[in-house]
Amino acid sequence: MIPPVRMEPSVPSAVPSREALALLRILVVAGEGGSGGGLVQNLRQWADDGRLEIDTAPDLPRAVRQLSGQRWDVVLAVLGEHADDDLSWWVDTLRGATGSPRLIAVAHAPSMGLVLRAEKSGVLDVLSLPLRREELVRALERLRSAASETTVALPLVEPHAVGPYALVGQSPAMLDVYKLLARVAGSPATVLVQGESGTGKEVVARALHMNGPHASGAFVAVNCAAIPENLLESELFGHEKGAFTGAVTRKIGRFEQAGSGTLFLDEIADMSLALQAKILRAVQEREIERVGGGETIPVDVRLIAATNRDLKEAIKQGRFREDLYYRLAVVTIRLPTLGERGDDLVLLTAYYVRLFAERYGKKIQAISDRALELLRAHAWVGNVRELRNVIERAVIVATDETLRADHLPDELRGEETTLADRPQGGLLTLAEAEARHIARVLAHTNGQIGAAAEILGIHRNTLTRKMKEYGL
Amino acid sequence: MTGPAPVRVEKALALMPELEALVPLRALLVSIARPDEATVWSSSGPYLTLGKRGVHPDELRRRMPQAFHRITDHLQALFKAYVEALECQQRADAPGVVLALLGAGRLEEEVGRHTQARTWYEVALRVAETLQDRRPEVEALRALGYVCLALGEYSAGARHFQRSLALAEPEFDQAGATAASEGLGDVALAQGQWGGAQAWYSRGLRLAEAASDAPRAGRLERQLGVLARKQRDLAAAGEFLRRARERFEGAGLADEMARVLNEQGRLDAQLGRYTAASAAYREALAWAQRATRDTRLELSIRLNLAELDLEAGRLLEAEAELRRAEQVAIGGHVIRRLAQIYTLMGRLRGAQGDETGFVFFEQAIELAKAVERSVATEAQVYHAYGLFRGRLGQQDEARAYLERARELFDSLGEAVERERVEAELRALSA
Repeated sequence: MIPPVRMEPSVPSAVPSREALALLRILVVAGEGGSGGGLVQNLRQWADDGRLEIDTAPDLPRAVRQLSGQRWDVVLAVLGEHADDDLSWWVDTLRGATGSPRLIAVAHAPSMGLVLRAEKSGVLDVLSLPLRREELVRALERLRSAASETTVALPLVEPHAVGPYALVGQSPAMLDVYKLLARVAGSPATVLVQGESGTGKEVVARALHMNGPHASGAFVAVNCAAIPENLLESELFGHEKGAFTGAVTRKIGRFEQAGSGTLFLDEIADMSLALQAKILRAVQEREIERVGGGETIPVDVRLIAATNRDLKEAIKQGRFREDLYYRLAVVTIRLPTLGERGDDLVLLTAYYVRLFAERYGKKIQAISDRALELLRAHAWVGNVRELRNVIERAVIVATDETLRADHLPDELRGEETTLADRPQGGLLTLAEAEARHIARVLAHTNGQIGAAAEILGIHRNTLTRKMKEYGL
Repeated sequence: MTGPAPVRVEKALALMPELEALVPLRALLVSIARPDEATVWSSSGPYLTLGKRGVHPDELRRRMPQAFHRITDHLQALFKAYVEALECQQRADAPGVVLALLGAGRLEEEVGRHTQARTWYEVALRVAETLQDRRPEVEALRALGYVCLALGEYSAGARHFQRSLALAEPEFDQAGATAASEGLGDVALAQGQWGGAQAWYSRGLRLAEAASDAPRAGRLERQLGVLARKQRDLAAAGEFLRRARERFEGAGLADEMARVLNEQGRLDAQLGRYTAASAAYREALAWAQRATRDTRLELSIRLNLAELDLEAGRLLEAEAELRRAEQVAIGGHVIRRLAQIYTLMGRLRGAQGDETGFVFFEQAIELAKAVERSVATEAQVYHAYGLFRGRLGQQDEARAYLERARELFDSLGEAVERERVEAELRALSA
């Protein structure tokens, strides 16, 4: 039994979280509407307690100038007639601003769609005009409460290096993968690696290559889904000069490039049936022909294929050749999703924080409990690839020795219950609850309607209608 | 539950014949295309291009009324312009006829139908040529000059502007003469004839200042700034742009502020001032938001911002900005710019040493040929593709693509770009 990863609280970092500071700097952009002057006047009165420092900008362009010159904690922006568009521009603008200030959007009668979009974009709050003091105070308190973030030291990680990559994790699901990997690496058998997107199929393929009989040869990877269908054949098998329009020189294909090494065919299910037949021939005969060439070229590669699809289902639908499947799946390794890997998330986080801190010349030794909570709560549709992406971005924007919640992308921060308790104090109507749930599912699927419809158990047309109805 | 899988754009477009009548359908199809749900986080996700996006036939059918509506609106506006011209003809108001016909041409230009716009302008010119008052003719010639410039027909464009200037000056039509000088400067700039461009812009600026035409003077100063930057006189460029900016900010011209700040960003980037360049681009975007929506302007700024990030080694930011630009281009029906976006994506992958990045260049070439139909863009893509291959050590392919770029620049008479490619070919052989 592997003990759970322990996260010890660490000594608070020398630089306190800026939210911990009692004084919040707010840039108010009241726009050119009639509400501007009164709003600023009210805010100045409310700032009298000395905990708020307020400055103003007349419009978005001038606000951008102020944002590039100084650091702000909050931008309070009054949205105009086209509130949705204005919100997108503000989110876009603040993405590049110094110190990642949070946005409070203020609008006349904000719609449900606007609130949900704001939530997804990591907006601190959406308030209605006329602005009420208690609502603003509540929003700012939420920001201040983040000051209670505790820093925890990053755990030590012992990655298994795989060339430029690494296998990280000690969950039971990963231990099973390591065991199988150890058993099959030494044989020249063709391996099929299956797993959802971002679970690390290429890393496993590289590990198989490095620990196998073809390790002295090259490891050549081809992403079958990335390459346009009309180019894939020449990419794999090469071509002779003039074989087709655009064949400006003779090209050596990936089979030949791999020599006596390993050829990794990623996303193999995306290959056309015609090309599958040619791959099958190459696997069976161990020889290929360049496109436009008559010469037969012997090949001695170990083939590893990967897919995130259910190949047996594809065979049933006539989209994948059964004979090729059995040729490729001599051994099958199934990779777990990040969700199935439990505390590996913490180890992977620590690993990537250190990796990117080194790459970007940062010194990050800890993570805040709130940031970790957000990472744990997120549904990682893109698995380890998505986590890696999130951590890389967070490390880039981090300014002190602790990776904090506000270094994480808007989407993750938006998943916190910041706006979720709306309407304040009241219970949600059925329509509001439905709209909110649909918005969550859409956020989970990155706005993919088909996938969202599947999760919700409704037809995509019904979902589209509901999205229109709720202004999502 | 979810119904059949979407059809890939590359397959959908292969089924659509190249017919004028289908252009709006093609635009609609592309604008509703989305990344395949399974692709977003898959290992092919970073290589996603327009061709790999998916489209649902039922969604296309559902959205067709929107396309019909846009087509009807456009036709209605064109027919209305023609009826206005006819009414003017009935009243023997020939300048009114010219005005209405020019309006119709502008409507065509707004939707990217430059060839059709030129036909309207030619009819307008024929009417204008019969008038005693030469100002409508000056205007028609100017419109023709710019549409030729947009079509890459530089010599024809220059001829129209020259004639426009020759007519405006004896008529003391200062605005016409200024505009013609600006047009001649634009043609010279597009052809890399910097001395000529400098002379025309300076002349236009003197005329605009004499007429206290602040917006035009600002535009000419911006263009002089562009020219100075291209000639590496960066101090002069900065001064021109500062003056243009003062004029535009004073006049509250948001779109011009966006353009001048976009150019300021390029100047700062050339000076190696990445932070200042980034701030200029971000402010330019903010001004663009205040102006009437101009997707092309927004795209230009975003592409410059992405290029800046790319040059500064901020590859994640560059990629995010390029994906935003891609979305803006697809959603805003500006497919012509996708070739540039994918060329930059390819350069980005080249900077990462990622060989699969070639897919972006292949897609860009296809778009430049089939959608944008611009030899200049195709030449630029081949140029970047050659450098990409060279960087990966594939010398033969690099040479072949650079030679193709040189051939295309030759056909356009683009001396400056041709010389750049030639230098790279020499370096490759060394």
